[in-house]
Amino acid sequence: MKVSKEWLSEYIDVEADVYELSERITRGGIEVDDIIDYTSDIKNLVIGHVEEVRQHPDADKLNLCRVNTGDEVKQIVCGADNVAADTYVIVCQVGGRLPGGIKIKKAKLRGEVSEGMICSLDEIGIPTDYVPKEYQDGIFIFSEDQEAGAPALPAVYLDDAVMEFDLTPNRKDALSIIGAAYETKALYGGDVVHPSTDLTETGDQVDVSVRNEDSEAVPYYALRVVKDVEIKPAPTWMQIRLIKAGIRPINNVVDISNYVMLEYGQPLHMFDYDQLGSKEIVTRFAEEGEKMTTLDGKERTLKGSDIVITNGKEPVALAGVMGGDFSEVTEETTNVIIESAVFNPVSIRKTSGRLDLRSEASSRFEKGVSHEFVLPALERAAYLLETYAGGKVQLGYNSDGALDTSDSIIKTSRDFINNRLGMHLETSEIEETLSKLGLETVVSGDDLEIHVPSRRDDLQIPEDITEEVARIYGYDALPSSLPKFETITPGRLTDEQEKHRIIRHQLESLGLSQSINYALTSKEKATQFTERKEALRLMMPMSEDRAVLRNSLVPHLVDNVVYNTSRQQKDVQLFETGRIFISKGQDVQPEEVEKLAGILTGRMNNTDWLGSHVPADFYAAKGILDSVFEKLGLTDDIHYVPSEGYPEMHPGRTADITLGGEYIGFVGELHPKYERDHDLDQTIVFEVDLDALLAVKSGTIEYEVLPKYPSVIRDIALVADRNVTAGTLVDIIENAAKKHLIDVYVFDVYEGENIEADKKSVAIRLTYLNKEETLTDEAVEEIHQPVLEALKDEGFALRG
Amino acid sequence: MDTSQMTHIQDEFDVSLETVEDARSLQDLKVRYLGKKGRVTGLMKEMKNLSNEERPAYGQKVNELRRNIEASIEEKSAEIEAAALEERLKNETIDVTLPGRKFNIGSQHPISRIIEDIEDFFIGLGYEIQEGYEVETDYYNFEALNLPKSHPARDMQDTFYISEEILLRTHTSPVQARVLEDRKGKEAVKIICPGKVYRRDSDDATHSHQFTQIEGLVVDKNIHMSDLKGTLELFAKEIFGTEREIRLRPSFFPFTEPSVEVDISCFKCKGAGCNVCKQSGWIEILGAGMVHPNVLRMAGYDPDEYSGFAFGMGPDRVAMLRYGIEDIRHLYTNDLRFINQFKQTEDGGENVESI
Repeated sequence: MKVSKEWLSEYIDVEADVYELSERITRGGIEVDDIIDYTSDIKNLVIGHVEEVRQHPDADKLNLCRVNTGDEVKQIVCGADNVAADTYVIVCQVGGRLPGGIKIKKAKLRGEVSEGMICSLDEIGIPTDYVPKEYQDGIFIFSEDQEAGAPALPAVYLDDAVMEFDLTPNRKDALSIIGAAYETKALYGGDVVHPSTDLTETGDQVDVSVRNEDSEAVPYYALRVVKDVEIKPAPTWMQIRLIKAGIRPINNVVDISNYVMLEYGQPLHMFDYDQLGSKEIVTRFAEEGEKMTTLDGKERTLKGSDIVITNGKEPVALAGVMGGDFSEVTEETTNVIIESAVFNPVSIRKTSGRLDLRSEASSRFEKGVSHEFVLPALERAAYLLETYAGGKVQLGYNSDGALDTSDSIIKTSRDFINNRLGMHLETSEIEETLSKLGLETVVSGDDLEIHVPSRRDDLQIPEDITEEVARIYGYDALPSSLPKFETITPGRLTDEQEKHRIIRHQLESLGLSQSINYALTSKEKATQFTERKEALRLMMPMSEDRAVLRNSLVPHLVDNVVYNTSRQQKDVQLFETGRIFISKGQDVQPEEVEKLAGILTGRMNNTDWLGSHVPADFYAAKGILDSVFEKLGLTDDIHYVPSEGYPEMHPGRTADITLGGEYIGFVGELHPKYERDHDLDQTIVFEVDLDALLAVKSGTIEYEVLPKYPSVIRDIALVADRNVTAGTLVDIIENAAKKHLIDVYVFDVYEGENIEADKKSVAIRLTYLNKEETLTDEAVEEIHQPVLEALKDEGFALRG
Repeated sequence: MDTSQMTHIQDEFDVSLETVEDARSLQDLKVRYLGKKGRVTGLMKEMKNLSNEERPAYGQKVNELRRNIEASIEEKSAEIEAAALEERLKNETIDVTLPGRKFNIGSQHPISRIIEDIEDFFIGLGYEIQEGYEVETDYYNFEALNLPKSHPARDMQDTFYISEEILLRTHTSPVQARVLEDRKGKEAVKIICPGKVYRRDSDDATHSHQFTQIEGLVVDKNIHMSDLKGTLELFAKEIFGTEREIRLRPSFFPFTEPSVEVDISCFKCKGAGCNVCKQSGWIEILGAGMVHPNVLRMAGYDPDEYSGFAFGMGPDRVAMLRYGIEDIRHLYTNDLRFINQFKQTEDGGENVESI
């Protein structure tokens, strides 16, 4: 809502300048987003009287004008077609300034002196889109006589600044200049003066009847008839006020309709009396599938929730949203029906939303109009048509339905208000504060009965009154305190939240940086690194890239690596923790699973001059994951199982990860083809189910007494087929050792010379410890020999 | 008793010792004089040619000579060792200005930093952290928060719908609705809810279709709006600096009444006016208010008995303000040149004494 200070001042005296007023209004709860000051870039603008116009001797398109600027008559060169003798115009004098940093100097144009500039409206700061069509291609010409030499800005009502209200949805009361005046009164005091509705009725009784078929659709509808109107431009002051409010002037009838809407917040509609097609207005919900053509020439298919205004036979307007094609006011219109009505807000909202026809009118109807202004707005429009269009207001008005203009009553108490706020206000202070808002308070003891006019029907419960008191009294007066809780609770993270943080910080310490990616992704990416082929789809995605919810964190991590490597960041190690969404169908909530994923490429811990680094390979990723599992105390329950199941992954370099036998994720190298397609070097990714990891309760650490006896180490080297995993050998060893085996560690794998081509040598260190007594050689051999036997039985020969 | 030979041996030894420069020649010298066939040992063989009376004195002299030579060798040996060590240390000297072996550390995401800071502050006040669903039902995202289907305030946030009833949450407030409902209208509630939220916005420098929110909710039997102000005042000082002040401006949220926007005095210009606060001296940072009685009632709390306050803010915005980040998209691009700027620890700066 754009509120002109000059216009506002017509309804309430405001002494504060626009900046102070804006600050006060903002602190009062209506944010003034912007102030458009029409005077700020303008200097030396006066009214000039054009005395003579003649052709420039050396330029076809230029005119030489003799212009009286008060003290003297100057020659000004003007290129506008509409410049004419004996008119009053806006002149920017030599030494003056115009918006856009334009400075006016004495100049010679094709040999002729020009002392100033005759201005068009857009040259003095009016956006081109809002300039009325009669001035669009030329200079502005006053429609009435003016005083030459007088300041021009006040004469065009632009000695003004406009406050742009950013209104919250509850403050529809301020969607009008009168509403803004009431808000100003609440903040500064004073009285609100309503505009004149002093019309003169002549002619016949209004002969268009009104019938609302469904009071749910249209609770109230009133109309007047004004005959013999002359369609012409509205007076300048009205045009400029509309422009300042962001509405382009069209003609006097349309402009009056918009003007009154801005005054009262009550949208009106004007029909051409002679084109209505009947003498009755019937309102109703549309038939499902009913068709009508709106004034923009489009045929609309209606729904049962749309409200239509009909002539008893067919729709003539889509209520509150848009007029119909044949009943619209045109240049030929002479007789006008003015509609002022209350429509079902939800219907208007649905209709305007569905047809994408949000307008100044629909946005007011969908918030609900104030009943008390429905008839004054009707009177006002009739009065303005009479005054500025020469119309004859017919006798009376017709209506159907009922307006509720009585005050509503909210019961509360001083204690309630004070308790909610934590303040100690006296009843009289509350009463006085509310009276500034135009709310009358009836006091009986501590109980308060607040009378609320319909323009503030957003106020409904005691809490609303509390807010009004607080905001007008001022939040600066609100004391500060801390809650006095009934019971004291220890603030702490849950076990899972705590562990989640620890894991993140540990990964950071290991050199991985934290990523945060979008949960929305493309259909294609939603099927990568997962077995799921289904992903939850948005009903109305904004792009194909953000159309479905992710099934894996890995695809966006790949994007992150591509982004970084193409920007000279070759060593990229990232992790992310975030949700994936397992679809259970579009109509129910999905299962949300917190995942931990990571990606590694390039080198880690690289020290070039020493030639040392950790390559970002499978084993680096596995080592990082193992450190996480170790931190969580899960090492013994974790297993890596070779996996060929992912088309995006290298089939020989990928492992599924299990926790206590259950699948929780995978780690591996990207498939060379996938790497090539994404222009990546060797890249490792992993993703594990963080929820599953965090669900394991570890309890407290169980301390063990330090061993008193030494451990015994036995190193063995085994020859095995190349495709036998070290894990297989370790399993055999662990199963065969009856007791005292505390560690099995693979310390070397060798292929090459002295080993058959399809074999490898695996060196394993076995550590034995008896916590009760020293292990003798004989005792070790008693356990160790069966281990060797078992390996031999499985076909693994001992080497050397 | 002729001791001239001994003197001669001593003199010769002394001369030889002078020429010794390394451990090997010292060892040779030692063998030559003290070895089994050494010259000092040889002297002992002379004993048999002496009288019984002379022998003890002679033996004593020879032993004296042996001790002298031994001591000299010992001394020399220590000298040589010291010189060798000196030499070794000289050779082992390294260039300490060369880079150390790299142990990379990664960086925490700035949003994550901000969230942890805020969480920790409220944990200190006895709050618990609650997380909810990112894909919510229309009921918990809107209706339970006093936003019925036709409510015009639904315009305030464009929503990503998955179906008529399922949507991506537009704020973290549904967590509040669910927690209130879980507590069945009986227990007090003191929670902080951080999380990702989604709005149907085109991504640009100041808008992101995905961002984070952190909300707080307190419901108990005797909660006033002054408690909200006091809590947020403490918060502003803790997170943005001890000199910060807050200012409440009336606003509107369907789930609170009264509702306020909370501004903090600008931490960059201290209120004088700068580009961060758009010359106003104040930065809008929070939305807050007293929990709407409808919200309490829907969750089973009696609004006559219980009252509460709620507040919410955007860690993305806080991070952008705190670090001067000019484009919200940086937070979701995961450019290492960006993220890696957030490695080091932070504190209150010069003006704040650590405890």
